[in-house]
Amino acid sequence: MLNSIECGISEGAVSNEVPRSCLVTDDSAMVRKIARRLLTGLGFNVDEAENGQVALEKCQERMPDVVLLDWNMPVMDGLEFLQALRRTEDGKNPTVIFCTTETDVEHIQKAIECGANEYLMKPFDRDSLSSKLAVVHMLQ
Amino acid sequence: MATLERFGVPATPANYAIWYEYHAGQSPNLQRTIDVLISNQAIFDESTLQELYSTFFSSTKEAQAVRNTSLQALETLQEIVGVADFARDDAHQFGATLRGFASKNLGTSLDNLKNLIENLVLDSKKMAGRSEYVGLRMRESADKIEALERNLQDALRDSSLDGLTGVANRRSFDAIMRKTAGEAMNSGDDLALLMIDIDHFKRVNDTWGHQTGDTVLQHLAVTLQKAVRGGDHVARYGGEEFAVILPRTDVKAAVNVAENIRQALAREPLQLDLEPPMTPITVSIGAACYEPGDPLAEWVGRTDAALYHAKKEGRDRVEFDRVWN
Repeated sequence: MLNSIECGISEGAVSNEVPRSCLVTDDSAMVRKIARRLLTGLGFNVDEAENGQVALEKCQERMPDVVLLDWNMPVMDGLEFLQALRRTEDGKNPTVIFCTTETDVEHIQKAIECGANEYLMKPFDRDSLSSKLAVVHMLQ
Repeated sequence: MATLERFGVPATPANYAIWYEYHAGQSPNLQRTIDVLISNQAIFDESTLQELYSTFFSSTKEAQAVRNTSLQALETLQEIVGVADFARDDAHQFGATLRGFASKNLGTSLDNLKNLIENLVLDSKKMAGRSEYVGLRMRESADKIEALERNLQDALRDSSLDGLTGVANRRSFDAIMRKTAGEAMNSGDDLALLMIDIDHFKRVNDTWGHQTGDTVLQHLAVTLQKAVRGGDHVARYGGEEFAVILPRTDVKAAVNVAENIRQALAREPLQLDLEPPMTPITVSIGAACYEPGDPLAEWVGRTDAALYHAKKEGRDRVEFDRVWN
């Protein structure tokens, strides 16, 4: 994890690096499709989960480098997932970026409190997504 | 203060406190929250600022305070109306104070409001022992204060509206655009945009003056609001350009709405007695749909390109986004 962060800062040495992994967690098939396209374009290995429960199971199998996380989802929402993830043993490692239409101060506050690394508002595009990834040193 | 200006935040004491704290860096959570808002190009509107203030400073909201103060002023006035036997001269002077009170913009400064009300109370106390009955005048003044109270509320509510036409302003258009595009990205529903430009508007201003130009803009705003459907959002984009955001609407349906607008304008032209007579006002309209994952600026760009082609093809028509030859 730490190694990959350090590698991410130096540009140019892209080709011989292991691609980073991102778990896109969103109940919207449209959002997952767009995020997959943009993240693949940015060099990520992408996996998808349609709610927090599925995401948690996938994380227990293999921790991703980044989780792109929706807020409102059935079964288990984004905040519950984040809290559960941070309680697991390796769950402190993944960089979690909330990705939601919630724009109010209360939600942002809550996300930061619960251990989100960044907060991306929908709608997102290639530039806004990659600038958030750059801030958390996850852009290769 | 520079940051307040940069994000279009009114320089109220509460907002100053928020930004002072942000720069002073005493509250990391406030800093991170504001950084999130800035990096997501969020708009610092009234409710966001109120939320910031109430979350990080106090539970009393500035707007509530302003409102309460003006309610107190109203009550004071009503008490005065209840007291008969006032001196006519004093009432005159009192009226002047009231006029001063009514003409000042109070929405921005709580201190200013407090001063004025103190003067008001002082004046009313002076009058209280006098003998001549001036209830009528007082009631007039009370009406003025009531109007003031309404204005104050309007000022708080209408910072999202265009002053001339009463439709959403550019700032609020940007917010609506982001909100509806976010929802469309989640749901996968279509989302359309119309850009509407008045044909030869400069000629209107040059020939009949800017007041007539303003009347034309107001007339178009009214026509737009009548011609669009319930869930559509009309906004003044800038100058003589208007925009309509149409949720759950594909390009074909958007073109239908645009045609409605064009025909409504032809059906109910602006009737003005002018010399030389004004030729009927027409508009050119461009239409395009949002592509989730694309930048919003790109969407506006495609809509503008369609508008440009509507102009090029001879104006008074609708064009939609497509591959241009």
